[in-house]
Amino acid sequence: MKALIFSIISFSFLFSSSFDFKLKPIKLSDNSYYFYGKKEYFSPSNGGDIANCAFIITKKSVILIDTGSSKEYGEQVKKEIRKITSKPIKYIINTHHHPDHFLGNAAFTNSDIYATEFTKNDIEQNGELYIVNLVNLIHDAMDGTRIKAPNQVLTTETLNFDNYKLKVLYMDGHTESDIVIFDENSKILYTSDLIFNKRTLTTPHANIDEWIKSLYQLEKINYSVLVPGHGIASKTKEPIKENIAYLNFLENTLKDSANKGLDIFEILSKPIPKEFEDFAMFKEEFERSIINLYPSYERNVNK
Amino acid sequence: MKYIFFFIVSLFLAINLHAKNPVSSPTFIDIIKEIIKDDKYIFDDKNIELSVPNFADNPTQVPIFVDGKKIKNATRMILFADLNPIPEIIDMQLGKLLPVVSLNIKVAQETPIRAMILDEKGVWHIGSKNIRSFGGGCSVSSSEAMDTDYSKYLGKTKTNLFQTSSKDIHRLKASIFHPMETGLVFGNSEFYINKILVKKADEVLSEIKTFSPISQNPRFTFETIDNSKNYTIEFYDNDGNEFISESK
Repeated sequence: MKALIFSIISFSFLFSSSFDFKLKPIKLSDNSYYFYGKKEYFSPSNGGDIANCAFIITKKSVILIDTGSSKEYGEQVKKEIRKITSKPIKYIINTHHHPDHFLGNAAFTNSDIYATEFTKNDIEQNGELYIVNLVNLIHDAMDGTRIKAPNQVLTTETLNFDNYKLKVLYMDGHTESDIVIFDENSKILYTSDLIFNKRTLTTPHANIDEWIKSLYQLEKINYSVLVPGHGIASKTKEPIKENIAYLNFLENTLKDSANKGLDIFEILSKPIPKEFEDFAMFKEEFERSIINLYPSYERNVNK
Repeated sequence: MKYIFFFIVSLFLAINLHAKNPVSSPTFIDIIKEIIKDDKYIFDDKNIELSVPNFADNPTQVPIFVDGKKIKNATRMILFADLNPIPEIIDMQLGKLLPVVSLNIKVAQETPIRAMILDEKGVWHIGSKNIRSFGGGCSVSSSEAMDTDYSKYLGKTKTNLFQTSSKDIHRLKASIFHPMETGLVFGNSEFYINKILVKKADEVLSEIKTFSPISQNPRFTFETIDNSKNYTIEFYDNDGNEFISESK
């Protein structure tokens, strides 16, 4: 009997189930959906499900915008899409080179993956490092994740996927290359990480001035729905305005503090401005941004 | 009964000794003996403000800020990280500087960090914090060192003088381009700033020893009660180079 129990237990370990992301696509229009990622940082309990990805069903195929942070996540995205349509997922777009947006590529063996030259190069050069980092942060959910780099380079202003046209906007600021997709058929704007809705912006590769410029460009677009890289989709211009306000606040804080000769921890001890109190993870991300960006502002102090 | 009593007493003693060190580590005693020999020391987190990030995402650039101004007439300040392969970070003969410093360090793994300040009675006060990190910062080669253009920037310095919130305390911020190689990476030899002099004209206000765990392209913040418009900061490295920076 003991042996039986023991063998059952060891068997159940052998076939231990993979991480369940409990994905539920959210409908945006007749043919467009997105998966909402949690407003959290990478952790074993969320399995790295912290960014949004979206898909568009066309007459002949499915277009997927970003693939999440692990092979397993990509697999479960595929499963959920299969529940809605049997059309092949022929086209994938990686909006930028951050690991929470492209590591799910590994789950899609027969798709063409599109990205800019810069993004493709960064994924090829630093991909392995991103995986090591995420294994540290989210553990088991990363099982089986390998680098699958984009195989198509984005250069055109319009994409024509089986006669379904998408507008491509080449921007930057969050990274050196951020792709925004505007679907004029549904008037849905996929902004990738140029927009964080009610979730504090991350800045590991940011250029604040460029980012603000990009946001003013986005504000001019006449969209029905905006799908951000993080946070819920929005029908208003509010998220753009809030992001501009936050970036201005961050930049002014960095400049003023550098001119006064403050230290990083003196900046961090100040109270959170009222207008950003409802941003998820403010304290944590603000600290990361200051630690990462302040040295360059200190170097540029002209006295 | 006697034994039980004895056991309980020794248990209490053990717990107490342990509780005194707010962030215990297996190497602390050895390191402190090596640095301060048999000097008296006390744990004093009340009077030493030691700030570290909540989590050090980048193990090659971990900002540290120490404010020990509550300890009056301090004469020396030493920083070390218990679990770094090279524990010592900086050793300041304070002279006319206050026990305040800000700099970035590399961490090899999650480690306690200590700020030890010597008071006028010859007792060391120790502030402790734990730095949470995945580590690996000491065994990474300086990216700048691999950059052939480094020779162009090596030793480029900048020093700014600031007024602080208290009008008789002045703040000096100094930075220098330097790879700060630990020598722990195979094929790279030690190459780091090992001495800093803070001067007013020809008078040395403070002499500081620095060690290779300080991050590349170091930035230092010092504070002084000396009231001058101009200071000179001299940096020396272990290769015999000397770099001079005038405050603005």
